[in-house]
Amino acid sequence: MNEAKRHTENRWQRLLRSLLYGHDVDRNVKAKARLGLAVVAFAGIFSIIALRLVMFATTSEGHGGRRSVTQDAVATARPDILDRNGEILATDVKTPSLFAEPRKIIDVDEAVELLTAVLPDLDASEVRERLSSKRGFVWLRREITPSQQQEIHRLGIPGVGFLTENKRIYPNGAVVSHEIGHVNIDNQGIAGIEKWLDGQGLAALHMAGLATDQLQRPVTLAVDLRVQYALRDELIAARDKYKAKASAGVIADVNTGEIIAMVSEPDFDPNNPREATDPNRLNRLTTGVYEMGSTFKALTLAMALDSGRVSLSSSFDARMPLRYGKFEIHDFHAQKRVLSVPEIFTYSSNIGTARMALSLGVEYHKAFLKKLGQLDRLRTELPESAEPLVPKHWGELNTVTIAFGHGLSVAPLQAVMGISALVNGGKMIPPTFLKRDQAEAERLAQRVIKPETAEKMRYLMRLNVEKGTATRANVAGYYVGGKTGTSDKVVGGRYSKTKVLTSFTAILPSDKPRYLLLIMLDEPQGLPETHGFTTSGWNAVPVGAQVIERVAPLLDVPPRFDLPKADQMLLVSAKEPR
Amino acid sequence: MRLLNILVIGALILAASFVYKIKFDSTLQAERVAKLRGELRRERNAIAVLRAEWAKLDTPGRIQGLADRHLALQPVKATQIDKLDRLPERPAVVVPSPGDDPIGAMLAPAPDTTGSVLPPGR
Repeated sequence: MNEAKRHTENRWQRLLRSLLYGHDVDRNVKAKARLGLAVVAFAGIFSIIALRLVMFATTSEGHGGRRSVTQDAVATARPDILDRNGEILATDVKTPSLFAEPRKIIDVDEAVELLTAVLPDLDASEVRERLSSKRGFVWLRREITPSQQQEIHRLGIPGVGFLTENKRIYPNGAVVSHEIGHVNIDNQGIAGIEKWLDGQGLAALHMAGLATDQLQRPVTLAVDLRVQYALRDELIAARDKYKAKASAGVIADVNTGEIIAMVSEPDFDPNNPREATDPNRLNRLTTGVYEMGSTFKALTLAMALDSGRVSLSSSFDARMPLRYGKFEIHDFHAQKRVLSVPEIFTYSSNIGTARMALSLGVEYHKAFLKKLGQLDRLRTELPESAEPLVPKHWGELNTVTIAFGHGLSVAPLQAVMGISALVNGGKMIPPTFLKRDQAEAERLAQRVIKPETAEKMRYLMRLNVEKGTATRANVAGYYVGGKTGTSDKVVGGRYSKTKVLTSFTAILPSDKPRYLLLIMLDEPQGLPETHGFTTSGWNAVPVGAQVIERVAPLLDVPPRFDLPKADQMLLVSAKEPR
Repeated sequence: MRLLNILVIGALILAASFVYKIKFDSTLQAERVAKLRGELRRERNAIAVLRAEWAKLDTPGRIQGLADRHLALQPVKATQIDKLDRLPERPAVVVPSPGDDPIGAMLAPAPDTTGSVLPPGR
């Protein structure tokens, strides 16, 4: 094959050579061949010229294209961020920015004088220094108003120009601040969902200068702006009323893991990013870790009930304080008798839960909490997260204290995830700030407890609102269930007697939970109407009730007034065909 | 042969003028496109500004402030919400008897009202 090819090539070459140079060839034929070669050569050259002409003709709308390049030179457009109903949480607006090319400036002094006349707050010496530099490009002022642009344009200073930049606007101010985060002056995400967006490839687009506004699809979050606002409004009121250092709240959809609202007060206005660096304004729900107190008893009870070794009719001895080494575990609402499992929950008995956890053993306890994701760092879309503080050597004493929520610090959002799994039928679904549908949630879900245990947990939560520590959360019509938590804060390495962190975890409605609400108050003070008490039932619970009353209609939870008492709930659900 | 040359030259001139016309038209069109594109961009920017402004005016905080100041509305209570299928049947409309019947007109029911809306003229 190869040889044959070479053979034909050689023959062709030989023919050509003999035609062009051969002595034995007819002169006429030779001339014709040479002419033909010249024709081919010229035709080639001319066709190249023609082709180039066509190319120039078709691409000569160059000035239009070039202008748009300079206008969008800083192509840093970001997609809009919308809430679950399509309300705008963050959007881009084009603003002109003033720049100079120092090499092209003729008279620096004149330029400085004219510019400071239009922009009085411009620092004259700094501008002079910048204009005198040898650089090709300097910013003079970012984000000027269109009228200022007009005035400077009319001054006609050579070497001064405008670039249209994208400015990020957060119309809702501080309301959704901790979720969406904020951007810097170059429109790069610094925190929250904005930073997450950059991680999703937007930063690369910015680097390549390709991030124009037409390519970007808006991002839809799970948050509901109305619910978020209502929650924040109530939390601000609560913080003022109880003179708390901080207040925080989450509303999560227990069946999809979506975070419908998340507020950590005090927060910041993302339009003014300087506020965001204040450590007091950090997001306590994801970046803070706390001992959740009695809220954790829900996890302990679920563990005990799910193990099959403890049933709702089991009982534990709470007559005496539990002695462990030099430590003594007391009950806040001490009953000094043998308590049944529901009583342990409703009286929030430390002794009872501790005995329950001990009866199952340290390893079982540890494995259960691990399964519920309480021992590992919880990663969400938000870049900010905190590692839970887990004891290095987990002995029996640790199990005793962790059973009632001391000695293990977790991010509150983590606790929300764990408790959601206890009530939604036993499926753990990682929380998300983006909109998610039921099918995707099912795909991500992991079964952690049996559905029957979840049923019992709902009953206990409801019972606790009917006759336990959370009676003030019994909002008529919504069948609220919940667990309170009050933990002493650690001050200087010791548990403080006066400074507490109170929390309230509510589910709504208890027979078939759809939403979970967590309210947290940091160092609430006693008030005359709370009789000086600072426990959760006196502050976090009423706040939770107010939030539920306000938010339930927005969340499309229909009020029902024909609901059975908690004691009948188990029977009803047992009879219900599945 | 000469006739052919003349014909070819004529065709060439025709073709050249035709191409020139096309080129001229296309330049015009291109300028129009560029202008429209600029306009589109301006409009799109204006829309973005208006959307941002709308969102700002539409924030729940602002609406709440306005409602508190100007309206006498109260938050909805759970007891005020009910399902549609629990709504009682609408009372049958009584057709007023024809003819002049002052006593009958007095007995005739007022126009349909709900409990929360006062019937007109009372």
